[in-house]
Amino acid sequence: MKSLRRDVSSNPQAANVTSKVFVRSTKSGKVQKIVRELYLRQDIPCSSKLCSLCPSIAPADANGNIAPFVLSDRPAGTKAFPRGHYLVPDTNALLNGMDLFEHTGAFYDVIILQTVLEELRNQSLPLYNRLLSLIKTDEKRFYLFFNEFRLETHVRRGPEESINDRNDRAVRIVASWYSEHLKASSQKSKKEKSIPAIVVITDDKDSLRKAKEENVSALSLSDYVSGLEDSAKLLDMISEAREARDAKGSVRGQMFYPEYYSMSKIQTGLRAANLHQGVYNVSPYNYLEGSVNVPAFDKPLLILGRDNSNRAIAGDIVVIEVLPQDQWKSPSTKIVDEEAVTRNDNPDTEETEAVVTDRERKALQEEVKKAHGKHSEGKPQPTAKVVGVIKRNWRQYVGHVDSGSTGSQVASGRRQQTVFVLPMDKKVPKIRVRTRQAADLLGHRILVTIDAWDRDSRYPSGHFIRSLGELETKGAETEALLLEYDVQYKPFPKSVLDCLPSEGHDWKVPVSKEDKGWNGRRDLRDLLICSIDPPGCQDIDDALHARLLPNGNFEVGVHIADVSHFVKPHNPMDLEASVRGSTVYLVDKRIDMLPHLLGTDLCSLKPYVERYAFSVLWEVTPNAEIVSSDFTKSVIRSREAFSYEQAQLRIDDASQKDELTESMRNLLKFSKILRQKRYDAGALNLASPEVRIEADADEVGDPLADVKTKASLATNSLVEEFMLLANITVASKIFQSFSQTALLRRHATPPPQNFEDLINQLSKKRNMELDVSSSGALASSLDKCVDPKNPFFNTLVRILATRCMTSAEYFCAGAHAESEFRHYGLASPIYTHFTSPIRRYADLLVHRQLASAIGYEGEDGHAGLEGVATRSKLDDICRNINYRHRNAQFAGRASIEYYVGQALKARGEKMAAGGTDQGVDEEGYVMRVFENGAVVFVPRFGIEGVVRLEDFVLPGEAGAWSVTQRRELAPHRTTDFDPEEYTLRVEEKGHPEKERGVFVELFQKVKVNVSSVKEEGRGAGKRRVRVLITGSSDE
Amino acid sequence: MPLDTSTTYPLTRLRLDGRRWNELRLLQAQISTNAASSGSSYLSMGNTSIMCSVHGPAEGRRGESSGSAGSSGAVVDVNVNIAGFAGVDRKRRGGGSDKTSSRIAVILRSTFQSHLHTYLYPHSTISIHVSVISADGSILAAAINACTLALVDAGIPMPGLLTGCTAGMSGSASTPKDPRHDELDPLLDLSLPEEQELPFLTVGTTTVLPVGENGMDGEEETSVALLNMDSKLHSTYIETMLAVGIDGCSQIRELLEGVIKGSNRA
Repeated sequence: MKSLRRDVSSNPQAANVTSKVFVRSTKSGKVQKIVRELYLRQDIPCSSKLCSLCPSIAPADANGNIAPFVLSDRPAGTKAFPRGHYLVPDTNALLNGMDLFEHTGAFYDVIILQTVLEELRNQSLPLYNRLLSLIKTDEKRFYLFFNEFRLETHVRRGPEESINDRNDRAVRIVASWYSEHLKASSQKSKKEKSIPAIVVITDDKDSLRKAKEENVSALSLSDYVSGLEDSAKLLDMISEAREARDAKGSVRGQMFYPEYYSMSKIQTGLRAANLHQGVYNVSPYNYLEGSVNVPAFDKPLLILGRDNSNRAIAGDIVVIEVLPQDQWKSPSTKIVDEEAVTRNDNPDTEETEAVVTDRERKALQEEVKKAHGKHSEGKPQPTAKVVGVIKRNWRQYVGHVDSGSTGSQVASGRRQQTVFVLPMDKKVPKIRVRTRQAADLLGHRILVTIDAWDRDSRYPSGHFIRSLGELETKGAETEALLLEYDVQYKPFPKSVLDCLPSEGHDWKVPVSKEDKGWNGRRDLRDLLICSIDPPGCQDIDDALHARLLPNGNFEVGVHIADVSHFVKPHNPMDLEASVRGSTVYLVDKRIDMLPHLLGTDLCSLKPYVERYAFSVLWEVTPNAEIVSSDFTKSVIRSREAFSYEQAQLRIDDASQKDELTESMRNLLKFSKILRQKRYDAGALNLASPEVRIEADADEVGDPLADVKTKASLATNSLVEEFMLLANITVASKIFQSFSQTALLRRHATPPPQNFEDLINQLSKKRNMELDVSSSGALASSLDKCVDPKNPFFNTLVRILATRCMTSAEYFCAGAHAESEFRHYGLASPIYTHFTSPIRRYADLLVHRQLASAIGYEGEDGHAGLEGVATRSKLDDICRNINYRHRNAQFAGRASIEYYVGQALKARGEKMAAGGTDQGVDEEGYVMRVFENGAVVFVPRFGIEGVVRLEDFVLPGEAGAWSVTQRRELAPHRTTDFDPEEYTLRVEEKGHPEKERGVFVELFQKVKVNVSSVKEEGRGAGKRRVRVLITGSSDE
Repeated sequence: MPLDTSTTYPLTRLRLDGRRWNELRLLQAQISTNAASSGSSYLSMGNTSIMCSVHGPAEGRRGESSGSAGSSGAVVDVNVNIAGFAGVDRKRRGGGSDKTSSRIAVILRSTFQSHLHTYLYPHSTISIHVSVISADGSILAAAINACTLALVDAGIPMPGLLTGCTAGMSGSASTPKDPRHDELDPLLDLSLPEEQELPFLTVGTTTVLPVGENGMDGEEETSVALLNMDSKLHSTYIETMLAVGIDGCSQIRELLEGVIKGSNRA
């Protein structure tokens, strides 16, 4: 029987076909052998502008375009390579130094090999993505060379060769091919050009040696960087993980942490439900106490101490094992600050220290004692330990160098030393960073990243990325905030700006109704529409009108900026907006989701001009019963843009009798009825500790005058009610049309155990009850929590209750059963966001879905279903916008907090110049009581301050206000803490007399002194808002 | 995990196996591989290889030929078997045919039923057996080509060679084509990893008149005999893909003609 397979040699084309064979294992543990064909070719260009051979063979795409060549004809050189060089990094070099390759000061003209890209993808997906975006940008001149497909550079794996060796060999072969090729091309063109050197960057010692034998110039990453200008700065950016790896095998230090379980053991354990998986959270008050929420239990499991948290960092997905019952403890009742406890750790002397320092051990012991104490409140809770990490959630952290950790020879300059970086995020442990520029970095905000956390190291090690500027400068702190909350703040790239209408600010609604822009739009220009917004608002999303219909009913309309007209799906602007997710408002800055031109002009429903809008129109009876609702794209002309105050004045002014004012009065009347109906249905009136900053350029006045608590006018709730109504109406409409893909927003009913603590506290301290069986019951029981002597008490309870709830989230209708759609806070069965498309991406998507639901065809007649993505895509979008939404809120709050601190500082300086004491006396409320301190909320500034032991001002104490002076007080003090009654008594040791101590209890109103202080001594260079309790104000 | 086409293709204009957008895989074929059947063929496109044998035209089984279908001409009967070892995973198949193979069989039957000059053989059956030995994408297209070769080998008259080919786009192509900055290229003859990642269609064309030495010179008239698409993409891309697919079909037709003529010479 003859073989069917044709003899390959008979076909001339077949010579260039080879195959790649590799083995992979699937998730289920199966091993698969994969065979792929490879077509070797000779028309893959080198992409050097020097080359005279390649342009003739460069490939064209289907449209006949040829990709421009990337590598410069005059590449930068170093001392060692005066004629310039092209770099060829191997995978390890990229793994260790991606930050370097992204640096704008060096690393231009880099050849990335297919081999390397593929290996990198297997090792680290985030790095792979960063490399891809580097290749895509033009200015860094990175060229992706598909070496495996080029006949000359294709490498077959030898019989005894490991994959790593083969890949390293491939890199060297490409390097030598490139130099031959460039030489040949310059000979052909007969022009004596200087040929750049091809430099392989590799950290593999074996490969370096072989490169020398093969006459390929190769350098290790650090050797190469040392040859550059500015090397000290760049050297710091090499990942620490490599050095740790180098150190392995040599001297192995003491192991501080237990080893993680093997992957197979973890998987078996998870399957058998002996182990649990969840996200590791750290308590904001005690860095040694973490918790993990796992689906198997109602309450989170506690993780106490460094031993048990075993190198997990807040946000990691970890696998935990429950500890035996004799090790169960109660959650901490103490404030433990990492900075205070481990102040004296030395970053260099690793060998002598234990994981748990004596001081930490003492802190823990005291807690165990508490757990076994007499109080039923201190009931021990199940604890667990981390036995494995599924996914690290390490990111880049903003922090500053701990001045105490720099050596004494700070001034001696360029010597490399190890320092600690204290991240801004208190939940992240300090990071050990090796740097040559410690002296320069002191007092700067810097960006660092974590590379590794080995068993033999107490702290994670990382490396320096860049400095943001000096501490407390506006620029550095703002950037730090944005980085910390992952806000995309870079200016819009050109590709996004290209999507804007070419007319720019001159864009107008087409005059002729024949124009395609009018397709499917209703002409609502004759309606008396106005907008009501906060003062100075530029991005006006919404406008309203109401008018009497001939049948005695009213027509009420909400008109929303038609952003989806300008932002077409899937173009670069849409993608950028979906990544940004929402506009972020900081005190002095706004990070827009959409380019300025759209947000503040073309989309914004400015008064007196015609604008495209998306309108929701209702017919309502005079009793605000909704008869019918209608949706349409429209053209409107707003008559006036009011601020809340202006609108209120106009409504209250009885002399104003014009139609516009009448229409606003009607709206106000309806909004009151709607509001009442909503409360009757069980909507919650929640409170959050918000203040508003009204920045004015007034340098002379009191800086604190800008800080204002949010005032609420009737017109605020007028707008709010109609926006809620529009959102609810739209939500049910799009859900009707898209039962699987409608983008909705829900607020899950919080589990009753979330409220346990608060219920307990209220019944103990105030004899009040909180009924959490439904949102309506909660609303009415919250209304009863009133202290006649203390009007703020109700707000305080509302703030605390809000914290017990889950946060609202976007989701796509198919992801939950219809009964789960409920919005708990608003007591609405279905809800979405429709009314702010300029600043939220979710609203933009809802606009597209609604347009499609009402059969709007778009300008060119085929808008159709474009806006409605598939389920899986929507799920991704929801995840992102939920994350962005949360971060935007955090960033906004952090910005206000920073501003308040700065205002206090400015005031403090002014007062100090006048010779008076610093600080502001205010009223505060005790929110939480710890064994060695309390948390106090100051409504005037919307801040929560941790009051430590030394910050209690005892009666009869002289005014020793400085931080150092006060710190010395702490050891002389003793406390009497009753966790059951939530009370704390602070007194001086040996002076138990009642009148010499301070007594605080939960919910108590206290007098506080707020000031912004510079940390002195070892923690220098940081500023915090200090709250001193000066006495109680109940009596 | 290996790289994927939609990220690397825009950067290098090279597909995952080193081909350009308009290149076919290596196509090798033989006819008369099985002396026991009326006609047979072996065809491989890249790593996809298919054996095909034709029996008949022969007298149909009782009951079938007495029906109205058989009276006007021959009935084409197609049987497709995808070997358990054809894919990456070894699958144990219990006798009967699975969804993929029966789908391919249905498509092949209806295509060849209308393509062949079946009226010449009333009350008879032409049965085609297709065995997929190794599957690496474009199975349907390869099966069409293998059947054509085997039917030619069996001497069953047909107006022209029916050839099949796949065409896809180099990205998900879920939004309308933007003529200004079009980043996507059409791709010809997709391999399995490409099929799994990208939208594609299978197109089969035939010439209306027999071509070759007796055929007319110059422009030959081709018509689309089969078009099948299971993936989702925006309608604006169909035309591009179709054009590329039809072009691929005529390239394959030339190759198959070479195979047929080469085997006559031997």
